[in-house]
Amino acid sequence: MKKTINMAVNFSIIVFTILLFGACTSDPDSSGYEYMPDMYRSPSIETYVDYGEIRGRENKDLKSKLSALTPPRNTIPFCGTDSTEVRLMLPNLRKANAAWKESHGFYGVDLSKDDEYLLAANDINPYKLTAVNSASMMTNGKELFTAMCQHCHGEKGDGNGPMVASGAYVGVPAYATLTALSDGQIYYSIYYGKNMMGAHNSLLSKKEIWTLVHYVRQFQDPNYGKFDANGTAMKSVVADSTMN
Amino acid sequence: MKISNIQQLNRFKQLIFLVLTVAISTFSNEFFAQGEGLFKAKCAVCHQPHKNGTGPKLFEARKRWEAAGEGALIIEWVKNNAKLRASGKSARANEIFNEYKGSVMTAFTDLKDEEVISILDWVDAQPDPATAAPPTTGGAVTPGMDPEEESALSWIWIILGVMFVVIIMAVGGVRRQLNIATSDQLDVQEKLTYGEEFRAWAWKNRLYVGISTLVIVISLVVGVLQGLSRINVVENYQPSQPIAFPHSVHAGLNGIDCKYCHNSVTKSKSAGIPTVNVCMNCHKQISGEGKPYASEVQKIYAAAGWDPKNGPTGAYNNNTKPIVWNKVHVLPDHVYFNHSQHVVVGGVDCKQCHGDMTQMQEAVKVQPVSELNKIEGNIKLSKPTLTMGWCIECHGAKDVPLGNGKNAYYDEIHRRLKDNDKTLYRKYLKDGKVSVSELGGWECAKCHY
Repeated sequence: MKKTINMAVNFSIIVFTILLFGACTSDPDSSGYEYMPDMYRSPSIETYVDYGEIRGRENKDLKSKLSALTPPRNTIPFCGTDSTEVRLMLPNLRKANAAWKESHGFYGVDLSKDDEYLLAANDINPYKLTAVNSASMMTNGKELFTAMCQHCHGEKGDGNGPMVASGAYVGVPAYATLTALSDGQIYYSIYYGKNMMGAHNSLLSKKEIWTLVHYVRQFQDPNYGKFDANGTAMKSVVADSTMN
Repeated sequence: MKISNIQQLNRFKQLIFLVLTVAISTFSNEFFAQGEGLFKAKCAVCHQPHKNGTGPKLFEARKRWEAAGEGALIIEWVKNNAKLRASGKSARANEIFNEYKGSVMTAFTDLKDEEVISILDWVDAQPDPATAAPPTTGGAVTPGMDPEEESALSWIWIILGVMFVVIIMAVGGVRRQLNIATSDQLDVQEKLTYGEEFRAWAWKNRLYVGISTLVIVISLVVGVLQGLSRINVVENYQPSQPIAFPHSVHAGLNGIDCKYCHNSVTKSKSAGIPTVNVCMNCHKQISGEGKPYASEVQKIYAAAGWDPKNGPTGAYNNNTKPIVWNKVHVLPDHVYFNHSQHVVVGGVDCKQCHGDMTQMQEAVKVQPVSELNKIEGNIKLSKPTLTMGWCIECHGAKDVPLGNGKNAYYDEIHRRLKDNDKTLYRKYLKDGKVSVSELGGWECAKCHY
């Protein structure tokens, strides 16, 4: 009798051990063990980190919440102490507070309900194109254009980028057909979006948008941004957009 | 009386219109091709055949105008819509204008009547992609095995294993009992327990038992050490994601630059996960209707609070909710890594560490170093991805472009090396380059502080 009990105990220990190991399934969403979790996880806020658990303390409210938060209301990013640079980066004078309306700001901006777009026609590019900065402006512009615009608008600005070529997206105009737009309206269209194009203010700083305004003008006029030996603009449109 | 006259007139107009249409459309295929060309050149910027965009869809636009009783006016509308609206003879013209919130359509006064008809003919002949049979392979994500399914499978194996062990033990027990029952030396056998029996057997075969014990112990020690050294090596880590996002379609097929979505990579420590408004910049139009990935796009719409059925083109309803992505490349907090330093200053390409994302059809994973080494232009490394050895190896191999006028800090280092310490500079240049490690890239405090 004692023997059978012994056997049963031995047997159940073996079965229990097997079951115990069998229960170890790996969680595909876990990156595995860590040596020293208190050195691995930052108690101060870092982007894209789950703060549901810090150093053993669990905070249910923060679990699976995004830690990439929107900046505080009415703040602007620090952009140095150079006054011309700072002026360039100040909030857009049109609808300065629209950015804080919703979580991402630019939902449902309806261009027809206000005449801001028409008023923007009078806005002047504050980032002046001169004989000195023209070359670097166009290099920066090309870099920005490649990253931000060319997948739709095409490398040559003909509205035939890889997205249009693959058939995923339709209806991108060629820059050559948009000569009627003023600098301010191009800026406005990039900042708030226009027709099917979305707002790009969360992706580009104001300085970068004004750089792009200069760059896309090139597609309308190959002489744009070129200066003769005396340093005078070869195209009057440059002088117009850099007044004041 | 008067009304019926107008109706008759309208009917007459429609008849002429129809006859004209039929007559013209039977002309030749050439005319049809002309319609396609004109549509793509003049209309496609704002109109699609089957989907409202900046302007309404054009499929059967004629029928809609005819239904409004103004069938013949559509040509006038196309040629100069502002004039038609001003003339006041068309109610539908103003209706459309108001529906599209005053987006003004360009006047096409240079188009001939039959050219307009050729465009509309071509559009009406286009099949609707939404109702057409969905393609079998849409370049969409092919999901792997369902995790739940997988765990259920492993449970089956465990249960099978347990049953197997039970059977073996039962059989063994029966055999043992039988042995005891049939044995002559009942008294001797009965006294021995399992343990004593085993010890006797082990002593008898002590050479083999000793050698195999040694082998087992050594392999256990090696296994444990190897296991410890794999801790926090995250190669092939591929967490699940809330939306099946195929990088191959976005960065590969559609040629979107990495920096468009991960736009803080040049400005900040973190490369950035795009916010939903960035998704919506394209997905406002691309709803994936009739495609296998339509349900994934719906998840974006739910997050952005976008209602595609609201109004002619869809509208935001401000009911947003966050998308909780799972972070893939996680570095411990005691390591400082800055994307902008590597991408802008160091000029390192994304694929050096993340692999060729234009081919990545499934969810993002930490690419093993063997995969990274296959990519052309990558510095070849040997240590596992995202380990310190891997970082150090690359810091020793990567050259720093000095004195090319692109970076004031490196220009200054170049000037000082040239002017103050030529021997050191020559020592650095022995292998033909100044590596990151030679400029302090192997200092502990470079990354740990």
